[in-house]
Amino acid sequence: MKKSRYHLEFKLFFRSSSSWIGIIILLITGMAGLYFGKTFIAKQQAVIEKAATLQKKNTLNNIDHFGKDIGLLFFHNKFTLANAPQNWAPFANGQRDINPYLISVTMLGLEGQLYDTDINNPVSLLLGNMDLSFVYIFLFPLVIIAFTYNLLSEQQESGIWSLLRAQTNQSFQVIWQKFLVRAVVIFAVALLLLFIAMLYLELPQDLTLVSVAVLIILYLTFWFAISIFFISLGKSSNFNASALIAVWVLLCIVIPASFNLFLSRTYPIPEALQNVINQREGYHEKWDMAKDVTMKPFFKHYPQLKKYPFPEKKTFSWYWYYAMQQMGDDQAAASRLAVEKKLASRQYFTNVFAFFFPTIQTQLGVNKMAGSDLDTHLGFQQAVRKYHEQIRLHFYPAIFLNQSVNDTDIKDYKLEKYNRQEVPTIWINMLSVSVITIMVIGATVFNLKRFNY
Amino acid sequence: MSNRISTIAKQTFKAAFNNRATLSLTLLLGLSLCLATYVGWQNFKMQNNQRLHYKALVRAQWLAKPDKHPHRMAHYGYLAFREKHELSFFDFGIESFAGVSIFLEAHKQNTVNFSEAGFTNGMLSFGEISVAMVLQLLVPLLIFFLGYNSISAERESGTLKILLCQDVSWKQLLWGKTIGIISICLSIFIPLILLTILLWASLSHWQVSMDSALRLLLLVLTYSVYFFIISAITVLVSAFARSSKSALITLLACWIFFMVIMPRITQAVGVKIYPSPSKIEFADAIAAEVHQQGDSHDPNDPHYTAIKDSLLKAYAVDDVKKLPFNYGGYIMAEGEKITSKIYSKHQSELNKIFEKQNSITTVTGFLNPYLSLKNISMALTASDFNTFVDFQHQAETYRYQLAQKMNKLQIEKISNIAPGEEEKPLAISKTNWAEQPDFNYHFKKLGAVMANGLLALSALAFWLFVAVILLQCSPKWIKTI
Repeated sequence: MKKSRYHLEFKLFFRSSSSWIGIIILLITGMAGLYFGKTFIAKQQAVIEKAATLQKKNTLNNIDHFGKDIGLLFFHNKFTLANAPQNWAPFANGQRDINPYLISVTMLGLEGQLYDTDINNPVSLLLGNMDLSFVYIFLFPLVIIAFTYNLLSEQQESGIWSLLRAQTNQSFQVIWQKFLVRAVVIFAVALLLLFIAMLYLELPQDLTLVSVAVLIILYLTFWFAISIFFISLGKSSNFNASALIAVWVLLCIVIPASFNLFLSRTYPIPEALQNVINQREGYHEKWDMAKDVTMKPFFKHYPQLKKYPFPEKKTFSWYWYYAMQQMGDDQAAASRLAVEKKLASRQYFTNVFAFFFPTIQTQLGVNKMAGSDLDTHLGFQQAVRKYHEQIRLHFYPAIFLNQSVNDTDIKDYKLEKYNRQEVPTIWINMLSVSVITIMVIGATVFNLKRFNY
Repeated sequence: MSNRISTIAKQTFKAAFNNRATLSLTLLLGLSLCLATYVGWQNFKMQNNQRLHYKALVRAQWLAKPDKHPHRMAHYGYLAFREKHELSFFDFGIESFAGVSIFLEAHKQNTVNFSEAGFTNGMLSFGEISVAMVLQLLVPLLIFFLGYNSISAERESGTLKILLCQDVSWKQLLWGKTIGIISICLSIFIPLILLTILLWASLSHWQVSMDSALRLLLLVLTYSVYFFIISAITVLVSAFARSSKSALITLLACWIFFMVIMPRITQAVGVKIYPSPSKIEFADAIAAEVHQQGDSHDPNDPHYTAIKDSLLKAYAVDDVKKLPFNYGGYIMAEGEKITSKIYSKHQSELNKIFEKQNSITTVTGFLNPYLSLKNISMALTASDFNTFVDFQHQAETYRYQLAQKMNKLQIEKISNIAPGEEEKPLAISKTNWAEQPDFNYHFKKLGAVMANGLLALSALAFWLFVAVILLQCSPKWIKTI
């Protein structure tokens, strides 16, 4: 008896054209999101491949042009590190459009090179990327709202509800069944899209897949909970539709957007501009100063380099030049750390704030898993710092001793790829979405109890 | 006739404010708008003051540099900061996504770095709240809530028949309802505009420029037109819909499709159709062309050998050291001329590609009034793509002029004979530095802005036209019962 009732509910649901429209919209936008997300990342991958060949070509060209003067060669020659996209990056493009994914640096001061952006169309950045995570976070909730907002109110408005109540005292069961049917369909569509993504993006079946799937299911459950909460208020269809859309607008647009403004107001980062100025002054002023001013702190920073004789009397030497460049970075160290500290407090504040808002929490969680978040980019920047340091220390002796370029292994330097060391976890994100969902469900149960008596 | 329209409009206005839900919603939106205005204004002041502070610092440091070789100064270079237009507190546009500072030095064109977006953690994908954002996105939603049942409720309660029997025409009813809804919007919009004018005037230290005043006037006008279009659409949907419920659902679906989904898709399509080169490809193409035309860093380059030979011939000397001016400076000036010309050509080609990418979104304005208004609003508040490109252009012009100024000083004032390896480097007096003026960005005049935004403007005009025509002619097809 019960089974056949579910069967009938499914039949009823699929008979309505609006159900199909909702499902088809999700599938089409989901596919479009997958397509555009993958194209976006595929382009970055192609550029990284191209950069690898250019790296070789440019090094050979530079040796050809400047090979006679080793100091000049390293003044021009660039070394590239690429932030290779993770498997999941096409799923959530995140910040990969804004932050550069290829950083090419010479052996000169790093602070003057590290923050160079890619060339971007700012309008595209403003309007944002279309990827599958957008569909899950923004569009699924809307379809959930469309499917459920009038579950009870429609029955009430058409007069069926009072008939039903007169005939059975399990009238809520009917609504519950209708609700379950819609939930099953939405979850099925969500998992189907995830399955398609798995095949299309060749995602490995690992913990990341499970984490993302769980987070998304929790997020969708949250929206079902919100929806059923409004149903439980027993208001009209129009009220439900308006209120649910208002909640969606608040959670998906107004609150995060206001938060952004608040964040940039509370934690402004003028230190970034100060950093540029510090680096520039720190290096350039040394030209007009005694060589000691540069060399003393330089040898203090790198005592191991003291053993290479410094040509004191020469007006200009590459030795001095590279040491001056290093002074730019050294004098910018404080402002650099200040920027890092500000970013960390922004990050901390965002995480605290996100705990109360599942939309933000889910977006951050998905970006984190996809390696397209700010943290990954900062990790990449740190890797560039390390790489730059390692290259400098490797080639300094050859430059300081004015050796021949052919005695160095510069030709062996290829484009390096940065890969995040550890796989992140998003337990906190899952927990916070679950807690909020449970609270909403609690409020609903409370409402329903009042309703019944 | 107009009397009846105003009666209906008044009635709609009063009825809306008698409804407590509407009243509170409208008040809430009004309050959040005032808050957005205030915070936007504060943010503007803070960010712009930072930039002005560093601009002054850069200038002072430039002037304080001691006597030195002019080429050292050319490499010391200049830092330019992108100033905000005083109206950009109204609409942030691409402000947060475009870089803020650019380092201008000889031989090298750098990127504009440190956008606010680079400092945020994915939160910006939700957008930023600004007055413009509330007016463009949320006020239409309010209009939909206010007007979805404007006609359909009359039909459902049976008053529609009575109204039409009392010699009220459909046209009067539609216009009256539309005007009534707009007046509700204006009751929040007008105080907001007054607040905006006040804050804007305080930002420009109570000395408002004609250009900005006109910009603001146009902003008020275009937003009013936008509200009219949205209100007319709402009333029409309500008139054509079978029930209030279906009117509401239709309007909400339209809102989501046109304002949330469509902008992303059109831009993604634009990027797909007109792919732009990556930075390395861009740089490689420039390097290849520079190499082809003449590379001043290459001692065997034919272009520079030819220059050298002709100079030696003209001055009848056998060594460049015997030339009456600084040969190195001359060659660098030539190199700067060639590379910067090539760079500018590639940069303008790149900007053309970006414009083409954006054109898809602009043209879609004919399907979507939201997009056309968004474009106009960004252009009027100088927070759009064109202003950013213009900044890049002015910065590059300044960079070129600075480099050439230093080359000229070198050619004229630096001896042609290089000092020995252990001698003091050549230098010129620091008094020369003041000759290089400070970098000041000049915003485009309104005329040029309007010429650029013609397509978006005509899209909005098109929508206005369609709305009026529909209000006038659609009664033929509307069913009364």
